[in-house]
Amino acid sequence: MSEYILCLVLFCIGLYCVLRKRNIIKIVIGLGIIEYAINLFFILVGYRTHGRAPILAKDQAITNMVDPLPQALVLTSIVIGLAVTALIVAIAIRIYDKYGTFDISKIRRLRG
Amino acid sequence: MRNKEPGMTLIVKTITRLTVGLILLYGIYIVLHGHISPGGGFAGGVIIALSFIHLMLAFGREVALKKLSEARASLFESLGAIMFLSIAILGFLGGCFFFNFFLHKGKPFELFSAGIIALCNIAISLKVGAGLFAIFAVLILFKKLGKDE
Repeated sequence: MSEYILCLVLFCIGLYCVLRKRNIIKIVIGLGIIEYAINLFFILVGYRTHGRAPILAKDQAITNMVDPLPQALVLTSIVIGLAVTALIVAIAIRIYDKYGTFDISKIRRLRG
Repeated sequence: MRNKEPGMTLIVKTITRLTVGLILLYGIYIVLHGHISPGGGFAGGVIIALSFIHLMLAFGREVALKKLSEARASLFESLGAIMFLSIAILGFLGGCFFFNFFLHKGKPFELFSAGIIALCNIAISLKVGAGLFAIFAVLILFKKLGKDE
């Protein structure tokens, strides 16, 4: 149970980083931390005690292995996270070109 | 001593020249053994892209783009997507989507087995490798455009 609570703590650290920090780069890092907390949670859900990796090997009978389904899911999630991070970084670079700052409280042209 | 040419210092350049080929070969190994060991198209493609990114970090943008230009990266990326789709559609020769038309199932733990899975891995690695390299190159291009304005 404690490992799930640690995942929640990691998620909350990322959420704090996204909500509280003003630098766009720090927000991107916070999103990355959130993503990895979720991935770690999925991997831990599929774990069983003393299980080994779900890979076939020569001359070995595998009796106790971890669940491969969350691992395949997390692999897809990592790919999507890579694309999302690249998109956010591109947007951050454009914002820096336009406003000359990474501080979100100084980006005020769209204030209503 | 300041060197006029772009990129990092001589130490980094020498080490890069020694290791970049090995990294590329390791990526190709991961791709080709994707169906019998951990790894596969995505992981191998990322390693292949990292070898070119390594070149770009050490020698500057022009040298890396001379090895693999943006247009050619775009071509490889599209080629990977079309190859994957055509492998899937060629399965209709045998009756269904993603049908194994190429080789028979083969034996476990042999390199030339598993039919179309190896071909799919190669297609995915082309797509991922060229796409990741293109993302990195375009981000640097953005930075350069911002400086010019």
